[in-house]
Amino acid sequence: MSRGWKLGRTSRLLQPPGTDHATQDPASEPRVGLQPVLDITDLSVRLLLHRERTRSLREYVIRILKGRRVKKEEFWPLQEISFAVKPGESFGVIGPNGAGKSTLLKVIAGIIPPSVGRVVVRGRIAPLIELGAGFDAYLTGRENIFLYGSLLGFPQKELERRLDRIVRFAELEEFIDVPLMNYSVGMSARLGFAIATDVGPDLLLIDEVFSVGDAAFQKKCEKRMELFKAKEVAIVLVSHDLDIIRKTCSRALFLRHGRLAALGPTDEVVAEYERFSGVSRSPNPQL
Amino acid sequence: MRGALRFGRSTGGDAPALQPAVYLADHRSSGPFLTLLRYRELLRQLVIREVKLRYKRSVLGFAWTVLSPLFAMAIFTMVFSKIFGAAPNYPLYVITALLGWNLFSLGTSRGLDSVVINGPIIRKVFVPKAIFPVAAVASQVVNFLFSLVPLVLFMVAIGAGFGWSLLWLPIPLFSLTCFALGIALLLGTFNVFFRDVKYFYEAGVMAWFYATPVFYPAEIVPDRFRFLLHFNPMYALLESLRVPIYRGTAPPLGLLITGLVISLLTLTIGWTIFHRLESRFIHYV
Repeated sequence: MSRGWKLGRTSRLLQPPGTDHATQDPASEPRVGLQPVLDITDLSVRLLLHRERTRSLREYVIRILKGRRVKKEEFWPLQEISFAVKPGESFGVIGPNGAGKSTLLKVIAGIIPPSVGRVVVRGRIAPLIELGAGFDAYLTGRENIFLYGSLLGFPQKELERRLDRIVRFAELEEFIDVPLMNYSVGMSARLGFAIATDVGPDLLLIDEVFSVGDAAFQKKCEKRMELFKAKEVAIVLVSHDLDIIRKTCSRALFLRHGRLAALGPTDEVVAEYERFSGVSRSPNPQL
Repeated sequence: MRGALRFGRSTGGDAPALQPAVYLADHRSSGPFLTLLRYRELLRQLVIREVKLRYKRSVLGFAWTVLSPLFAMAIFTMVFSKIFGAAPNYPLYVITALLGWNLFSLGTSRGLDSVVINGPIIRKVFVPKAIFPVAAVASQVVNFLFSLVPLVLFMVAIGAGFGWSLLWLPIPLFSLTCFALGIALLLGTFNVFFRDVKYFYEAGVMAWFYATPVFYPAEIVPDRFRFLLHFNPMYALLESLRVPIYRGTAPPLGLLITGLVISLLTLTIGWTIFHRLESRFIHYV
């Protein structure tokens, strides 16, 4: 999937919705030269706890009957986050539990809407947030490739073309026509990784998924990541494993209580985080 | 520092008006309908899965699509043909409306659950959420088309005529689909916030079934209640579906148009409400 970066598009902003840019098949879309793949400006996410908490009609009615306005309870999982990731760059996100790391990835992936600010993603996202989300246990491996692949927005033709390679990479040749419920956890994670990373993404979102598979498969994943870096794929990596962050990422972001605590070259940010951890723990619940 | 204020944590009083947030990405920058259209491949996969999985592990498999409407028809005939003996060709009378009713009731009840059931997906991958109710209803439309096989077989068996009137059928089928989708979107939305909706609807849909002339003729409804039928969209929809097959004539134009208008209206309302509240689903599923 070697699509070179085409220079020469001068407009700094993404084209408005509905223009050719938005409706084209991403595979044939020319890449935009020198623009960041991911551009986040002043991002904040707000949760209205008083509203999001009511789960049943009874609670809701009781709340209304009580009459007086419920005390407003807000929670900001993310506040005033700004950073950009360029093509080919690996960007690490670190921070204590509940700092908003996963929320940030979900906002980038389009799963959680931002409340304030601007998030721009240029190109195709491969969200490795949880591998094989959307797999159906009753369908075979082959059927799941098409289901999961189309869930990630990949066209059928492309999946057909890449089917063999996906199966080979996941090392599931003998089991591909077996229902997924007979797979081991490692097997389906391998399949998920193989699908999500095979179809040339522009931006990889990784949330602690390197623990899948055995040592040999992990090696293979690492090799594929290297390949991605060579191909100018941008990577946003969330991990508690500071060694992986140091090894893979050139820049990093340290999140604390949903705010930017540090942003810059990996070594400095990791050092900052190490200074903090142990001293301070975030009380915020995981979203 | 006014600029910074609007991002800040609000401390009591009215929350500061938030600047509209922007999320632009190639996979969803074109409005809900076009985004859904972009994911038509996923829609196809979801429908295939639904149809495939329905009869997996069953010996007769696909044959059930043919058999179950016939069974239902047989039961209604045994139980009611004496009572409503006035309706000639009662089995055909029942099955025509029953197939339509099944499309509606299964489509809406699956659509109601679909967003919540697919919560694990919604939490982990971006996906146009309307795709789940749409897939639920679309599967039932596919199922309906399959079940035309037993209907045709049955019509051949009893020597019913196949006339030009059958060409009317796409219109009520279209209306019925829109109506079911509109209701499915509405119920799907509400069920995300209040899981009680499911139980209310289960009871409600049963009452609705008995209130609609599916297995009994509209004529037996007492005169003073007859006007109520005009408030029941399912009456217009099922009647427009039944008349071309059962009577071999064009459906009453009034019912046909009423059905179409109500259906499109319902779909518009359902679609609008769904997409207005969609962005909050993530915190509830």
